[in-house]
Amino acid sequence: MNEIRRIEIGRIAAPVSSRVARSSALPFLGVFAFLVVLGQAALVVHARPQDLITGVHGMADFLSRAFPPDFSKLNEAAWPALETVDIALFGTTAGVLLALPLAVLAARNTTPARVFYAASRSVIALCRSVPDLVWALLFVTAVGLGPFPGALAISVHSIGMLGRLFAEVIEDMDMGPVEALTMTGATRLAVFGHAVVPGVLPSLLGIALYRLDENIRSSLVLGFVGAGGIGFQLLTAMNLFQYRTVSLLLIVTFAIVIVAERLSAALRRRV
Amino acid sequence: MIEAEGLGMRYPTGQLALDGASLSVAAGELVVVLGHNGSGKSTMLRCIAGMLRPTAGRVLVAGQEMTRLAGRALADARMALGMVFQHAHLVRRRSVLANVMCGTLGRHRTAVTALGRLPRGEFGCAMDCLHEVGLSAHAGQRAGTLSGGQAQRASIARALAQRPKAMLADEPVASLDPEAAEEIMRLLRRLAVEDGLAVLCVLHQPELARRHADRILGLRAGRMVFLDRAGAVGDREIAALYEGAVA
Repeated sequence: MNEIRRIEIGRIAAPVSSRVARSSALPFLGVFAFLVVLGQAALVVHARPQDLITGVHGMADFLSRAFPPDFSKLNEAAWPALETVDIALFGTTAGVLLALPLAVLAARNTTPARVFYAASRSVIALCRSVPDLVWALLFVTAVGLGPFPGALAISVHSIGMLGRLFAEVIEDMDMGPVEALTMTGATRLAVFGHAVVPGVLPSLLGIALYRLDENIRSSLVLGFVGAGGIGFQLLTAMNLFQYRTVSLLLIVTFAIVIVAERLSAALRRRV
Repeated sequence: MIEAEGLGMRYPTGQLALDGASLSVAAGELVVVLGHNGSGKSTMLRCIAGMLRPTAGRVLVAGQEMTRLAGRALADARMALGMVFQHAHLVRRRSVLANVMCGTLGRHRTAVTALGRLPRGEFGCAMDCLHEVGLSAHAGQRAGTLSGGQAQRASIARALAQRPKAMLADEPVASLDPEAAEEIMRLLRRLAVEDGLAVLCVLHQPELARRHADRILGLRAGRMVFLDRAGAVGDREIAALYEGAVA
């Protein structure tokens, strides 16, 4: 009897112990694979840490030329700074308004038909997969230089980012109230307005505010391709070797980013 | 008021969830459905509510054949049928009053209400319903701050705001403590007796069923085992109903 039990235990224990051995080797294999991938990445980007040490002189030279910042140009920097914030504000608002209906169609639990689901997911993926800088280049060629192509680029890229996040929020929402209101005889639209919207609104607002914060940072860079804002001023000052103006613009940029970040975080806490 | 005849439900997987269930619940009557998990209780309720289309039989609620309706006609018919779920399913960020007013949306199919505005004219009706469930003092409170028992009473008030003729309750006390469960069952009983509603309630607690129901229906593997007066259902019938059940 005992012999039979030992054999039975052996039968069960053998595959279990080999599974344990396999599972304990997995993390090491994972780390090794990651190190290999990281090594090839370092080779591809020509990572040379010593260049940082030799390059200190160049950086020190730049800093000495950039100091003190040229505060006399503060008035000239004010307008591009406002333009930068406005590009982000306009682009984000338009992005939110367009992403919302797309997200409703792109969420499995609210889409009216599979064809709408597939189409909206494709539009969202397209908007997201092209970087905002590339969208800005495209819009600059379409509508010319200035803040408008920047706002359009921010808006289209935001549709991609927000559409996906909004759809995920809608898919994860509690469907209980939806079911309950459907049972009251309310129309689909009323169920959407009274159960879906109040259920997801705080999360959507939080995401939209976070996006605004991100977009302010993005709109700073869009100026480099002629899409308006403080980035354009920064590029011009760099090209003209006006390093004291560059340092002033960097301070203004830093201030905008910090203020936007704090404001967005404070608003998100209140939502 | 509620009539189900030969109700059958076979899922696309081939599983037979309900097999020839028939019952009628008269106005002013509370009928409780008992049975172990997977016995077909909730499927039966969902077929009656029109949330599932049965593969056999028919359902009549207040004279309307629910099983033949779809779309707008089904939505109209549902107004006569209040539904209470295991969880209250309230919109947690809205006030209790707003949640109850949502029960009236079937009567106000306008563009304004569809866009999220509540029908102000139903304020009195919603307050009456809250008073009926003993929650008028909590009208302005956020629904998310209610206790389990209060939330379930608010969901009953929302169902009452529909001005239904019948009420379906799918395990309404499953997530409540015994005291709150007793309170909810007393309320459902009162709605049947005083308001003349036909109440069909799925429960897992035989004792609650025997205390509050007029009749008890026993379901096992989708089939009716008994349908009798609550006083006539003894321990032996209950034990037989749950025999071999896996929790």
